[in-house]
Amino acid sequence: MPLTQRGAQGSALRATFEAAREELRADIRRGAAGRAGVERYSERVDALLRQLFVDAGNCDVPVAVIALGGYGRRHLCLHSDIDLLLLFDGAIGPAEERFVNAYLTPLWDLGVVVGHQVRELREFDRLEADNPEFLLALLDARPVAGARPVFDKLGVQFHIATTHASILRSLLQLIGERHAQFNDTLYQLEPDVKEAPGALRDLTATRTIAMLTDPLLLRRGPADPARFEAAEDFLLKVRSVLHLEGGRNHNVLSHELQERTAEILGYPGAEARQRVERLMSDYFRHARIVNRSLEWARKTAPVPVGPNLGLSRDGIRFMDPVYAARNPSTWIGAFDAAIAAETTVSEEALSCIQQHVDRYRADDFFPEEADRTALLRFLKPRTGLYARLSEMHDCGLLGRVFPEFQAISWRVVRDFYHKYTVDEHTLLTIRNLERLTTTEALHRVRFRSVLADLPAPELLVLALLFHDVGKWRDDDHALESVRMAEEVLERLQVTADQRDMVLFLIRHHLKMSLAAFRRDTEDPEIVRQFAALIGTEERLKMLCLMTVVDVEAVSPDTLTPWKAELLWRLYVDTYNHLTQRYGDELIERNQAGLNELLAGRPQDLSPTEIIGFLEGLPQRYLQLFSSDAIYRHVRLARDIRPDEVHLSLEQKASVWTLAVATLDRPFLFSNICGVLSSFGMNILRGHAFTNPNGLVLDVFEFTDEERFLDLNPDAQTQVLRVLQDVVSGRSDVVARLKGREESILQTRSQGRIPTVVHTDNGVSSRYTILDIVTPNALGLLYRVSRVISQHGCDVDLVLIATEGERAIDVFHITKAGAKLTEAEQQGLTADLQRTLEGTAT
Amino acid sequence: MKLLKSIIRPNKVDDVKDALAKLNIAGMTVTEVRGHGKQKGHTAIYRGKEYNVSLLPKMEIEVVVPDALADNAIKAIVQAARTGEIGDGRVFVLPVQETYRIRTGEKES
Repeated sequence: MPLTQRGAQGSALRATFEAAREELRADIRRGAAGRAGVERYSERVDALLRQLFVDAGNCDVPVAVIALGGYGRRHLCLHSDIDLLLLFDGAIGPAEERFVNAYLTPLWDLGVVVGHQVRELREFDRLEADNPEFLLALLDARPVAGARPVFDKLGVQFHIATTHASILRSLLQLIGERHAQFNDTLYQLEPDVKEAPGALRDLTATRTIAMLTDPLLLRRGPADPARFEAAEDFLLKVRSVLHLEGGRNHNVLSHELQERTAEILGYPGAEARQRVERLMSDYFRHARIVNRSLEWARKTAPVPVGPNLGLSRDGIRFMDPVYAARNPSTWIGAFDAAIAAETTVSEEALSCIQQHVDRYRADDFFPEEADRTALLRFLKPRTGLYARLSEMHDCGLLGRVFPEFQAISWRVVRDFYHKYTVDEHTLLTIRNLERLTTTEALHRVRFRSVLADLPAPELLVLALLFHDVGKWRDDDHALESVRMAEEVLERLQVTADQRDMVLFLIRHHLKMSLAAFRRDTEDPEIVRQFAALIGTEERLKMLCLMTVVDVEAVSPDTLTPWKAELLWRLYVDTYNHLTQRYGDELIERNQAGLNELLAGRPQDLSPTEIIGFLEGLPQRYLQLFSSDAIYRHVRLARDIRPDEVHLSLEQKASVWTLAVATLDRPFLFSNICGVLSSFGMNILRGHAFTNPNGLVLDVFEFTDEERFLDLNPDAQTQVLRVLQDVVSGRSDVVARLKGREESILQTRSQGRIPTVVHTDNGVSSRYTILDIVTPNALGLLYRVSRVISQHGCDVDLVLIATEGERAIDVFHITKAGAKLTEAEQQGLTADLQRTLEGTAT
Repeated sequence: MKLLKSIIRPNKVDDVKDALAKLNIAGMTVTEVRGHGKQKGHTAIYRGKEYNVSLLPKMEIEVVVPDALADNAIKAIVQAARTGEIGDGRVFVLPVQETYRIRTGEKES
């Protein structure tokens, strides 16, 4: 382009720009450069920028010129910066760079301070969380020139709930920091009309909060919207005068400028002091309106608590109801957030759900794995769960998420005991469970401690939700409930273990009350039968709690302390049976239930081999392991010779399972525990079995606290090799543990959980039972089992469990094939106490 | 008339009710109670910790029967509630002086 032409064009631009500024100056001198004045000036600048766009020539990809921040709001004062975003829908190449140059150079030539950002649209794929000022400026984005579709695409990418929530959080923080700079008071003698509390930035912030949370917020605010706008007009007028008088972007209404401003704005008064006083009292009046509106907005506006979720005074709201209506997978999150914030879901959000819920199918509410995990997490019993589930039920969501539950909505079953409809009875069971989490009532506290020990109490809630759905029909409802729950669990894609637990609970949900209230539970045979039905402690705990809350939900008076006592006694007797007596009940060659296992066997296993392995193991073994696990164990024990150790190690989520088959020898159990501890493994659960032929099968579940197995490629081989060496006596575990002695051998109990060591010769016909409850710690089992072996005792069966920070271990031990004498028990107990309390020398 | 006050095992209530019904004795009061007799409860152990179960859950059934029926009623209760083990319970027999029907105020003979 010839210089002369550029020069001619330049002077034409300058003339246009100067005319616009002169017009604004004139407005200011007349005291009229308020909202209308600065808007008109903004539009003049818009026109100039559009002209420049035409002059700047073409580039290869579509581009939009976008006004940001104050200019975007049309709050452009005489010396304000002009904030621009040049946004390209494609890669910025040489042609685009030429365009940027051609566009911005004339502006610089005019002496305009341009704050410019040059970006590609794809840069907005990810939120620039570290640049909150830029994100805030983007909220005021306004297309000035260029391709409108590029601007629209930006809007689609930028205006999403999570971004809004993040900006709001930053904004609230920025406000706090800015106010702190002004000592949190608006009553400044020389106020900054842009930054001070109650000034222009607060005014904008108030509007932004409303825009991000609830556009109608300010209509309910402390100030009439007209007064809020009057404050804006006033502040802009003052700022305009400051720019004119200061000749720069200067916003402090200093003492000397107060006189000039009062004069220009036409305040009456014979003396300057009077005019200034009137100006300043006007300023404080307006600033107070802005300040109060902002405070109201900060207090009242929903606080972001999750994706598209805000916490407001009426509960959890959807920040963007339109987005919420289209995304049903976000709805359960609202109820979860309400529980976390100890509030309700707002009426508005409930109406939104109610209005749209019928458009969706069950799967739409948990389409992704993460949604299903979140749904299960939501069902964890805690204060507020019942109320939220009731809200979900009332607005039709619960019946949509679980159509099976809808079948019992308002269902009336007439009997002598029940006082509520089936759906309400069901929800009340969950309320009772929720109350158990915090109860202090004398007869409930013990059940509370059982609940606190459950690793997955949400499965119990799931079972409760569906335990009575079969009542939509009139025949045996437990079986129908199981059938319906199978469909739910299929959709939720829970693991096989989770599924089995839930279905077990539903199928047998009446069995414990039947046994406790209708059978003679003092008869050991009744307890034995009940224990045989239940099989494991975890199921027992779940079923016990299920029974307590189910009976309690029948009517307010049904669960008397008397009934609670009966249930507790059955629970304790069954628990003891399961943990202490199972050594007396061995698998026999011809026993019922083995046929299924034999029929389903893989080709490489013969019935003789399977029975040979099982015979003489405790019956409990069959209840603990799936058929597949049993087949694996049979293979593991195949052809075992003295001094051989067969091992297998596998991982499921964060838990590793080690299975060890070998022939019994002294210190075997403590050696295995020692090796695991030497690698920093935390043993969570485990079982050790011995059969009459001296075959030992130990199964440990542990977590890899130091991520040794994760981080080292040959770690598994290494662990297995060390186990081989230690168990077969080629290497000494004590030496391996040397480096860890501090942490393992000297770990003291933390004091909060008292250590209990108890021996009993009465419960089992063959074994002395050693019960240990103590704070869990790395190496605990190693220390305990080593003491037992040092006393010359054989560890025949072991149950290892951890519940929170507590380790609960039950050892079945003998010495020279017989139970321990009274003196031997005392000696062992005393030694163990000393070891566990960290006082052993 | 006699008041028969029976302390029985909780799981025997239905059996006793049925046995009394066979004698056409319909009216009764059933109460959940706790107590001990010679049994004196026992010690239970849960996770290595001992705790006392001194008062055992029992059911109390009260019936008022004409003198002529009393012996048969006692026999029926004892038969229905018996297991042969310690803790089967007790039947107390008390004389009843007068009874009144509250609804009408009339004295019953």
